[in-house]
Amino acid sequence: MKFLMNIAFKNMFRNKLRTIVSILAIAFAVMIIVFARGLIDGMIEDTYSLYIHYDTGHIKIIDQEYEQKERLLSLQYTVNGVGNKSFSEMKEDLNNLEGIKMVIPRLKFGAAVSTEEELVQMLAWGVVGAKELQFTNLERQLVEGRMVKSGREVVMGTKLLAKINKSVGEDVTMVYTTAFSSFQGATFEIVGKIESNLPLLNEQLVFMPLDTAQRLLYLNNESTELLLVTNNREQANEYLPAVKNYLEKNGGADKYLAQSWKNGNSFIQLLEVSETIYNFVYLFLVLLSSIVVINTLVMIVKERTQEIGMMSALGLKKKEVMLLFMLEGSAMAVVGSFFGALAGGALNYYLSGVGFDYSAAFEDIDVLMNPIIYPTFKIEHMLFAFAIGVIVTTLTAIIPARRAAKLDPTEALREI
Amino acid sequence: MSLIKLRGLEKTYQQGKIAVPALRGIDLEVESGEFTTIFGPSGSGKTTLLNMIGCLDKSTAGEIIFDEHSINDLNSKELAEVRRYNLGFIFQSYNLIPVLTAFENVEFAIRLIEKHSKKERRERVMSLLEEVGLGEMADRRPNELSGGQKQRVAIARALIKEPKLVLADEPTANLDSETSKEVLELMEEMNSELNTTFIFSTHDPQVMDYARRLIEIKDGKITNDQRRD
Repeated sequence: MKFLMNIAFKNMFRNKLRTIVSILAIAFAVMIIVFARGLIDGMIEDTYSLYIHYDTGHIKIIDQEYEQKERLLSLQYTVNGVGNKSFSEMKEDLNNLEGIKMVIPRLKFGAAVSTEEELVQMLAWGVVGAKELQFTNLERQLVEGRMVKSGREVVMGTKLLAKINKSVGEDVTMVYTTAFSSFQGATFEIVGKIESNLPLLNEQLVFMPLDTAQRLLYLNNESTELLLVTNNREQANEYLPAVKNYLEKNGGADKYLAQSWKNGNSFIQLLEVSETIYNFVYLFLVLLSSIVVINTLVMIVKERTQEIGMMSALGLKKKEVMLLFMLEGSAMAVVGSFFGALAGGALNYYLSGVGFDYSAAFEDIDVLMNPIIYPTFKIEHMLFAFAIGVIVTTLTAIIPARRAAKLDPTEALREI
Repeated sequence: MSLIKLRGLEKTYQQGKIAVPALRGIDLEVESGEFTTIFGPSGSGKTTLLNMIGCLDKSTAGEIIFDEHSINDLNSKELAEVRRYNLGFIFQSYNLIPVLTAFENVEFAIRLIEKHSKKERRERVMSLLEEVGLGEMADRRPNELSGGQKQRVAIARALIKEPKLVLADEPTANLDSETSKEVLELMEEMNSELNTTFIFSTHDPQVMDYARRLIEIKDGKITNDQRRD
């Protein structure tokens, strides 16, 4: 075995150019895999976080009817307590369930600000400022002022402020429709400015204190949703039964819908499926590059036919001939995959700092995705790509290796 | 004692629908230590006969007994075992592995046997290379050796595992007459020293002069079998 490895290794240098081309093909495929995994991982991880922070929480409780009318920002189907328990008691009870770390109420409604040129529509969220800061990464994006606390104050995104031609410290008058469908207006002080790559935060959202929103909309002690934050987002499904059980015990099972972040959003489900699909894409990519190696080995077998005949005459068995060629293929695979993994890792390391700007592609897409994707740099991605490169290429090398092993020694010796 | 016994050996190749007989009933016995040449015109069946004796090909009919064992019913793996332990081959075009040095090419054959330590292997290979006059050239690759030197390496490779039989298919065909003479003398010397049986095919009269037994083959049949003292 050791001497076959020695020969296989030395054979790699017989036609250096051909070996280099084969190694480069594998290296390129492996590099693409590392890069693609880093990019997709970065995108998915970022998207999961965004959805959890700004849509689903770890577990989301809404009125069953609200699910259908969420896009219309209906105020008719709210979370307003369960059974005999008030909204506050319900929040407290949920917060006391095992694994639940925080309960975040949000009251979402539509609002508009009139400027001299146009009526700027926006999405208003009544929130508990301190909880939002704790749960989301808003603090890092608050570039001026502070988060809302109480009273008539709002925080807006940079682009939205520019649209309405206002800045922090100024007042803004907003119009909105109350829960009784009356059209009203109120003036708020702008206390903070958010700078974000996310269009939702930068140009659509306006945050105001929850109690202020409740008062203005005549929805005291109500919210459109309750987001539950668990100890571990990956265990959200494990904590969900306790939440459902609580709702059922208190007669709220027919009214409310409780969903974990993994099941509550079709886009997240799509991303999860896509992760599996991408693994097949990687496999296909390496298979493509393996064709170069197969081609190289087929040529090698043809060139060394007489040598194979000589080895058989000396007593090398068919499986040893096969092993010799597979070792040569896998030696190329190891070298190519090693350098490919290194190159892919280096690329991801660099791009994880500067990011990849996809803004143009996301302009008209209504999904919660950061338009600048930061690929993740993980050793795990490099190891995965290295392993897939070596395994797939070695397995495909079986084809020409079998061809070599099947050669009849007398025929092979006659070959010129 | 006979090392090889061939009884009614036949080999027919199928070329499409046409059956082409290469050997037509060969009966032959070769004793241990013989230095035998098989000669005849091109296409007479010399190489086919050597392939049969060398366990590289299977006969269509007849029996081959090697060292008192019939090899007719052996599968390809078992035949490889017979070749690995008992046979040495010398080829017309040397067939050395170009990426290995002279030393490594010789060592290749003995490494297949795996019964020697590294040190023992080194000593045996070096001693044999010295014997064939290439002690100083052990580190050279085939492309740094002349035709005669390459064939000497091939002879060393064939002999390193001390086989019972060495088969050589036109071993001097690619060499000039002076180098051919040197190679044949070396083979003769090895035959006398080690008592290894040599069978080689040729159609070169100069080569035949060295053989102690001459077997003539024509149209797949032995037409003359003559021993010389």
